[in-house]
Amino acid sequence: MDLQDLEFINKALDADVELREKIKDEVSELDKKTRSMVGFLNKIHSTPLEQIPSLVDSVRPNLQDLRTTTAALHALIPLDQFWRWKDMWSNSMRNAVFCATLMEYLTSGTLMSMAGVSGALGIQDGWKDRFALPVEDYLHGLITLVNELSRLAVNAVTLGNYEEPIRISKFVKDLFAGFSMLNLKNDTLRRRYDSLKYDIKKIEEVVYDVSLRKLATAT
Amino acid sequence: MSASQFDSLRTKDAIVDLFDHFRDELDQQNDRRERLIKSSRDITNLSKKYIFLLHRIATEDTQDDLQLRAMRAVEQARPKLRDIQNIFASMKPELVGDLYWKHQKSISPGLQEYIEALSFSHYLEYGTLVSFADVQESMSDDDGPYFPLTISDYLLGLSDLTGELMRFAISAISRRGGRTKANEICTFVRRCKADFEGMCPRVRGLSKKQHVTNQSLQKIEDAAYTIAIRSSEYDLPDDILDDIVARCISGYDTRHQNYDRQPERWKDGEEDEDEYF
Repeated sequence: MDLQDLEFINKALDADVELREKIKDEVSELDKKTRSMVGFLNKIHSTPLEQIPSLVDSVRPNLQDLRTTTAALHALIPLDQFWRWKDMWSNSMRNAVFCATLMEYLTSGTLMSMAGVSGALGIQDGWKDRFALPVEDYLHGLITLVNELSRLAVNAVTLGNYEEPIRISKFVKDLFAGFSMLNLKNDTLRRRYDSLKYDIKKIEEVVYDVSLRKLATAT
Repeated sequence: MSASQFDSLRTKDAIVDLFDHFRDELDQQNDRRERLIKSSRDITNLSKKYIFLLHRIATEDTQDDLQLRAMRAVEQARPKLRDIQNIFASMKPELVGDLYWKHQKSISPGLQEYIEALSFSHYLEYGTLVSFADVQESMSDDDGPYFPLTISDYLLGLSDLTGELMRFAISAISRRGGRTKANEICTFVRRCKADFEGMCPRVRGLSKKQHVTNQSLQKIEDAAYTIAIRSSEYDLPDDILDDIVARCISGYDTRHQNYDRQPERWKDGEEDEDEYF
């Protein structure tokens, strides 16, 4: 290799290393933020129904705060290189999706769309050649949501909220109908999708228990 | 501010509708990925054949000088190289914009094999290492590159070149002018090894290949040693020595024990170029 080539390659490699470090800093920030949100939201399992709205409201600023990190990542990623780096923050983003959709469910009982989540995280359409929310990450987040809701179905009953499991059951079944539309390849998303049926089964059992004892009025 | 201001899906139909879009998008992604993996495999396959062809012609049993034969090999094999480059051209529309990085892992095995093939032919023709710019140039048309070449693919492809040079040096050693050639290759591979060493920590997978380079280098050195020791027993002109040497080491050509790169690769039923990181 002649000297010029050698220098060119070394420079390019150094630049990559430097960029990776910068991204890593932002990602660890994102990770910290989403983890603490997940921690806060864990309180739903021990919070009575009437206090849930204020709990969700208290976490909203944290969700809002994620926007600074997504904006920082967008500023770092070179044009068209989103997929090169995205593995570094996939997990954090999935957690962020989970938090946003859980909060929406607790607020309105509905599913927040992918565009909705992108909006909540401050991800703009115009960013797409540098930073975006990929379908896979949104779907991963939703599966985490179902996992969490199956727990909530159980714990809500313990707290005396007998209607919640029925609401959850309806919501999760609709969501599952959506997932059934997909042709998933053999990857982690597929494996996690396959595990959804256990969550559904658990929720069904809770619904069965409360209806059998006429604890819930809805059908 | 409430999160509810963002689009929410209130009905099952709305959810199913959304997932309908997801299915289309995911299907499209997967199909594209499959097509690219297939192209990558085709490129790997053709590149291997191209390399074998170069070896065959370059070490043909004729009285011609090695360099002459090497040039002939490159010339004769050129259409095959063109075939491979045409496959890259056909991949261009699937790799525009951010698609390149999305599918980089699917195409990089074929790409590296191609770089190995290209660098081998470049070495036969010019006796130098093909430059990054030349590789990118070979995968371009008037509108520019088909897709961006990464340093990592470039280096990992070049790293495989040393194995081919080892084969070439050892097969050529019994041919006329082969001992000089083997020494040239030895020097060249030593320089490659030195150049790559400093890049190892920054390029994933390079240190593993560097290990193979070491082994190749050692084989060339051992062969050179054999030649030196044998020739020291005679005080004869070079061409007569050539004949003696041809008899001495004819075993290198036919017994494949020196080509342990192959068994190593086949051991786990997987070709090393087909690794997906």
